[in-house]
Amino acid sequence: MRYLTFFILTLFWVEPALAQDLSIQLLDRNNQQPVIQAHIKDDTGTVITVSDVNGFFSINPKKYPHIVVSAVGYASKEVHLHPGLKSIYLKPQVFRDDTELLVVATGEDQNNVHAYHQRANTQNMDQFLDNIDGLSTNKRGAFAWEPVIRGQADQRMNLTIDGMQVFKACVDKMDPITSYVETSNLSKLHIDKSGSGVAENGSGNSTLDLVTQRAEHHPFSLQIQSAYRVPDNYRHLNLTTNISDPSGRNAVRFSGSYKKANDFTAGNDRTINNTQYEKLNLNASYKHTFRSGHSIEGNYITDKAYDVGYPALLMDATKALADIGQVQFNFASSDANFQLDKVQLYANTIRHWMDDYDRDVANRAVMRGMYMPMYGETVTYGTRMNGKAALLGHSFNWFLDGYASHAYGDMEMNSLDPEIEDMFIYNLRDVQTRNVGLGLKHQFRASDKILLKLEENIRYKSLDTGNESFASFFEGLYDRELDTRQKILLSASGSALWMLNDRWSLTGNLVYSERMGNHMELFGHYIYNYTDGFFYDGNPWLKTERTFNTDVNVTWETDRNSFSISLFHKQYFTYIDGILAEDVSSNDFKFKQYANVGDAVIMGGEFRSLNNINHVISLENRISYLYAQNQSLNEPLPLIPPLKGNSLIHLHHGKNMLMGEVEWAAAQNRVAETTSIEDQTEAFAVINLSFERKWMGSSLSSILEVNNLLDHYYHTHTSIGNIPEAGRNLMLSLRYNF
Amino acid sequence: MNMLKLWGYAALLAILAIAATSCDTTDNNKPELELIPVNQVTVDGYTISLEAEKEPETGANTLYWKLEQNGNIITPQSISIQPMMDMGDMMHSAPYNQPKTAEEDDRYFKNMAVFIMPSGSMGSWTINFEITTPTDEMISGEIPVEVASSWKLTSVRDDNDKVYFITWYAPQKPVTGQNDLTFLIHTRESMMNFPAVEDLVLDVYPYMDMGGGSGHSTDFTNPVATGDGFYEGDINYSMSGTWTTSVVLVAANDTLPEVVFEYSVQAQ
Repeated sequence: MRYLTFFILTLFWVEPALAQDLSIQLLDRNNQQPVIQAHIKDDTGTVITVSDVNGFFSINPKKYPHIVVSAVGYASKEVHLHPGLKSIYLKPQVFRDDTELLVVATGEDQNNVHAYHQRANTQNMDQFLDNIDGLSTNKRGAFAWEPVIRGQADQRMNLTIDGMQVFKACVDKMDPITSYVETSNLSKLHIDKSGSGVAENGSGNSTLDLVTQRAEHHPFSLQIQSAYRVPDNYRHLNLTTNISDPSGRNAVRFSGSYKKANDFTAGNDRTINNTQYEKLNLNASYKHTFRSGHSIEGNYITDKAYDVGYPALLMDATKALADIGQVQFNFASSDANFQLDKVQLYANTIRHWMDDYDRDVANRAVMRGMYMPMYGETVTYGTRMNGKAALLGHSFNWFLDGYASHAYGDMEMNSLDPEIEDMFIYNLRDVQTRNVGLGLKHQFRASDKILLKLEENIRYKSLDTGNESFASFFEGLYDRELDTRQKILLSASGSALWMLNDRWSLTGNLVYSERMGNHMELFGHYIYNYTDGFFYDGNPWLKTERTFNTDVNVTWETDRNSFSISLFHKQYFTYIDGILAEDVSSNDFKFKQYANVGDAVIMGGEFRSLNNINHVISLENRISYLYAQNQSLNEPLPLIPPLKGNSLIHLHHGKNMLMGEVEWAAAQNRVAETTSIEDQTEAFAVINLSFERKWMGSSLSSILEVNNLLDHYYHTHTSIGNIPEAGRNLMLSLRYNF
Repeated sequence: MNMLKLWGYAALLAILAIAATSCDTTDNNKPELELIPVNQVTVDGYTISLEAEKEPETGANTLYWKLEQNGNIITPQSISIQPMMDMGDMMHSAPYNQPKTAEEDDRYFKNMAVFIMPSGSMGSWTINFEITTPTDEMISGEIPVEVASSWKLTSVRDDNDKVYFITWYAPQKPVTGQNDLTFLIHTRESMMNFPAVEDLVLDVYPYMDMGGGSGHSTDFTNPVATGDGFYEGDINYSMSGTWTTSVVLVAANDTLPEVVFEYSVQAQ
């Protein structure tokens, strides 16, 4: 991102003034990296100078006692210069083009046009993601919604934490990894909707990276936040503290969060059973900066969820445990031809237990008359490193990564009839995924107004099962001898950014990607898919799924207003999906096997406008639309949200902020009837209100929210099992900063 | 710079470790023959031992014969046997073949016998034998065998009252995953003659009754005749638990009544 920023701003290169009186460095507040090519303006908005490649600029404080610093990707900052000033920290903001979208989750004191974060502190991660244009969530209840980018979920998108691969342990997708990062621990979201960042994401798939908050080198801070909501009796307590030693070389950050909710109530006072949950999340990080400028960081997340109800599923999660650790070494900048920027080593394990002991198993339609406790586990080790290199006068960025993951899943079936012997299934047994990839990113300046970016990635990926008996099932099913499945996968992208003037920009991306089926598609066994009611068996011999993605984005932006329109078209070849296994299916049990079923297409667009009418009123509008078609079957793909959007108005007055939101979606009549059992969904619109006030010199903040004000009973199209959304609810949040 | 190198090496080693494919740990050790004693008799100073891989039961049994003299194992020139069921008022034999030197251990002779009923109040099994010793001595006798009842044998009759004995030959211990599915089918021409039937068409259907009136099948291949009464296919159990497999014989366009094997599949 930083480098793209560099190239964008080179379009507006202005020779710096030569005043040498004061040398100041601009730094990113989150990662302390230099902010390059930032505009330094005087009170009239005239650019005085720009920061250099190390973030430095020189200025005469007598001539310019007051400056405004602005940089793409950062909030503008007004600064009064004084002789002792050596550095200025800028807060990351939304940087937007169609290639990459950076969303800052931490709160901002000042109002601005980039308002994604406005409600982040009181929202959980699921709600936060659901509000971003181009994103949606597949829901199974009140907890752990599965993020979807442009209609692509799970194996067709990259979902990472700090770039780390974390594989969910539940074969029924009850534990998307977004549930392991609290918004209080989120530094930023890195969203690459087009997948053009192939050098780093490795696959060309749309990418959502949850970048966690790290320990910062600043004096002691402590934030306590609590929230209570009715009628679901949701309570949330969060504590975050950060401290560093006087030298600033050692910093520690700790965050703890506890939340618990009872069953929620949908519109018209209908209680939705099995929607309760309880969750504890702890996050500790440490950072040490060496005198050389290198730094090392350690970060550990442990997340424990208990008694999580999933009304859309046959079972509830009794316990879900995640342990996610990483050590990262950041290298100081150097002028070497080959430079390492970062080396990251990580390991994580996810464990998931679920059962249906609290369900009426005797009378349900599927798997009737039995209890089915299930267990799943994934263990992943990996490393990532990246840097810069120069070869034959050409400099480029390089990314190297590798990981190995082990997956296991089983299911017992204990009949209510004592005469029936207990049954047992391995859903995944000793399934190993290994992956190593190398990516390169090149950026070229074609003219004063046109930037080009090329990225490519080559990747080796293998999957196998270390258990002969488990392997024999697939050998028998496909009548082939099974060995390690391995592929060389290539992906590449080309991007162009055309800055027509200082307000209009046009971005285009072309992305080619290859995807090997994941461990569930190749080696999953007897896995129930709630969206179509079929049990799925993997196919180790799946061919590579290939895609071509094209998208364009037009953005008009000023300091106060921005409009952005994105259009995209993604063509799938050898699309991987399930096909009916008639021989083994019955009326009660229908089986599918994964296969390359033909072609599919997803196309659509997003519109976003952010307008600061004045310092009191700001408006925000977001609209998304998707059209997705299985071209082989000539029917829509399942779980595609309809035309949807939301409109917000923010009113600021002193220490008060009032926000009103209309969240809406059109009816979805395009449903998959052959490949799924989904049905049509009606349109809806709900109104949400939020009032925030700061007290005690802004140390204390209170937020009062009313969601679904009119108590509308509705469900989204991506709510599996048509589980309704929450009805009218009222939440009070308090946040105190020491 | 030292720190840089250290971390660089650490990361490279980690990547190499991940890239490394898993070792192929194929086990080439041939499993040893594990036999249990069935019975033993002594005739003319020779000890004849009958051993088996499992306790004899209805259905197919592989029997191992061992001849000893003065505690030393000796290899006979030949062994000839005939299983006999003594039901008091009548006697009959069973499908079987004659012992031959066991390939897996040449100290033994080996044969297969299909016991078509269990020992018990209805009658008792013995196996008559004649053995030619290395010194051309001929010894003979009988060795009692206790045969337990099992799920691996059933029978069906056609309209002409011709009986077909259907033996579940494999898998002997069904496990989850792919299994060879083999049936062995004989008929009865006389009380002493049970020839193999080689011209049948089998239609099988595995099924898991999961209770509550629901259940499903699993991947399988219908067995086809391969000679000597054997019919070979395969079956791919998706889960452990109690399975049934129905078998319908089609003999000369005559579809016989369905018979059902019910058994337990173990997770492996």
